[in-house]
Amino acid sequence: MRFDLGIAAESSQFVSAASLRLRLDWFNKLRWGAAAGVLGAILVVGVVLKIPLPLRPLLVTAGCLAVANLAYVLRNARIEPVNIGAEIRVVKLQMLVDLVGLTVLLNLSGGIENPLLFLYLIHVIIASLLFKGREIFQIAWLAIILFTGEVLGEYWGLLPHHHLLSASDMTHELPFILLTLASFWMVLLFCAYMGASIMNHNRTIKDELVIRQTELIEAGRAKVDFFRFVTHEVKSPVSTAQSAVETVLQIGNDELSPPLVDLLKRAVGRLEQATEIVKDLADLTRSRMLSRQNLQVIDLNRLVRRIVDNQTELAAQTEQTIRIDQPPQPVVLTSNLTMLEKIFGNLISNAVRYNTAGGQVVVQLSEHRKEIRFAVADQGIGIAPEDQDKIFEEFYRSTQAQERTNLGTGLGLSIVKKFVEELDGTITVSSLPGSGSTFRVVLPRLRALSQESRDQSTAADDSRTID
Amino acid sequence: MTKKTILVIDDDIDLVEIIRVTLENEGFGVIDAQSGERGLEKARAENPALILLDVMMGSVDEGFQVAYELRNNDATKEIPILMLTAVADQTGFDFNPSKDQDFLPVDEFLEKPISPRKLVDMVRKHLPTSV
Repeated sequence: MRFDLGIAAESSQFVSAASLRLRLDWFNKLRWGAAAGVLGAILVVGVVLKIPLPLRPLLVTAGCLAVANLAYVLRNARIEPVNIGAEIRVVKLQMLVDLVGLTVLLNLSGGIENPLLFLYLIHVIIASLLFKGREIFQIAWLAIILFTGEVLGEYWGLLPHHHLLSASDMTHELPFILLTLASFWMVLLFCAYMGASIMNHNRTIKDELVIRQTELIEAGRAKVDFFRFVTHEVKSPVSTAQSAVETVLQIGNDELSPPLVDLLKRAVGRLEQATEIVKDLADLTRSRMLSRQNLQVIDLNRLVRRIVDNQTELAAQTEQTIRIDQPPQPVVLTSNLTMLEKIFGNLISNAVRYNTAGGQVVVQLSEHRKEIRFAVADQGIGIAPEDQDKIFEEFYRSTQAQERTNLGTGLGLSIVKKFVEELDGTITVSSLPGSGSTFRVVLPRLRALSQESRDQSTAADDSRTID
Repeated sequence: MTKKTILVIDDDIDLVEIIRVTLENEGFGVIDAQSGERGLEKARAENPALILLDVMMGSVDEGFQVAYELRNNDATKEIPILMLTAVADQTGFDFNPSKDQDFLPVDEFLEKPISPRKLVDMVRKHLPTSV
């Protein structure tokens, strides 16, 4: 389990009881390993190396640690991680028990002679990953007190000494003791200090990241609000103006001279263009709403055929042909019809718009267990490599596109990408300028519904299955 | 033959004028109301042959509320209603005219911007054949 940095157990704004519980569960697992390690070490020392240490007390202590761990595991299984204060108290208790246990084991295996006194350091390190500054030092001081007490206890004869190294008895060598204690204090306190500083630094960074993220979300929301405002304010005047001009054209056709009629027609064309932009902006702001509602079982073959039919007239004007490549049986997907119409429709109309005269557009639909794949390939102007990421940005039009026509809004692909992502899909493009482009969309099936939707679609009659 | 009267309920006064010019050119009479309430009053009082109703006037679903009222009132329930919808209406739902028509109290949806030809065709299509 990846060990996460940056939690301060005390303030619940940093960590939840649940996430702290995950770490505690991991510690419990580690502790099993430690117990096994201690058991192994005792056996090696006592049986293999035949060092005369008090095996029974050692095994009992190790056994107590194992039992304590079992108690922790059972407690975690029984109690839900709801109360962060309770979880913190449990951690502190565990650390206390671990440190006392370590001290007892050390006493039984040589005290200051035992190089495994390094193990105290591990607890300081773990404390600095879990706690804020003050608690880290508390753990460090607890370790210091326990170890110093153990060493001085043996020095003054209050505690028994069990030789680890048979040759010498360092426990009464005062210079050695003072030196060891001094280094012990220094190292532990230094590590506590380092741990606290690093953790503070991490927390500061994390705070800043949270602020930045909030700002980004706000900016995104402001942008959507702005689009929504614009569409709302613009759509009505544009639409009414278009109706007025069309009405004049319709009713006054006989009274107006051809040049005037021509001007009015141009006006209608430009107003339609404005309406297109308003519709596109509206799509951009609505996509989240759409994808959550109005899911239905859709026959993709029929949808693709219908969209292609809509485009054949336009394609014929430049002598293009559109070929559909799809499986004979219905490809069914539960999704939002409006969004799919936009995705497929936009990609196919782009292919036609930017294709070479007389060229072919190939539309491919294929079905897989977990997803459906849709691809549109043309033989047209293509997209330069440096543009291939940017074309999905709002209002971006490549130079090739602009040379072909000035009618594009630059919003189409950004909407397509947004819709595809809202449906948890992916879209990619491969292209060579002058040879053509292929757009590929992969849409995953909704997990729970994929089998259901297949049953439903085979049972559904035409009026239920919308194309 | 007496002139058939069409009631337009829409708060966009310019659009009302456009519709008036179009329909009067076809020989219809046009009366209008700028709010749902006034529209209901005029519908009951004047008994128009057909009603053109905007989806969004004051509040988001005012158009539908008016349509339901019209259908629930004996005096007006037989009058055909054509609903005018705008591009990117923030009505909060994504209705599909061809699919949802069975459940909504209107006879047809007309999408703005309204083309005069389409308007006339729709009106003629839904007018009751007898006066």
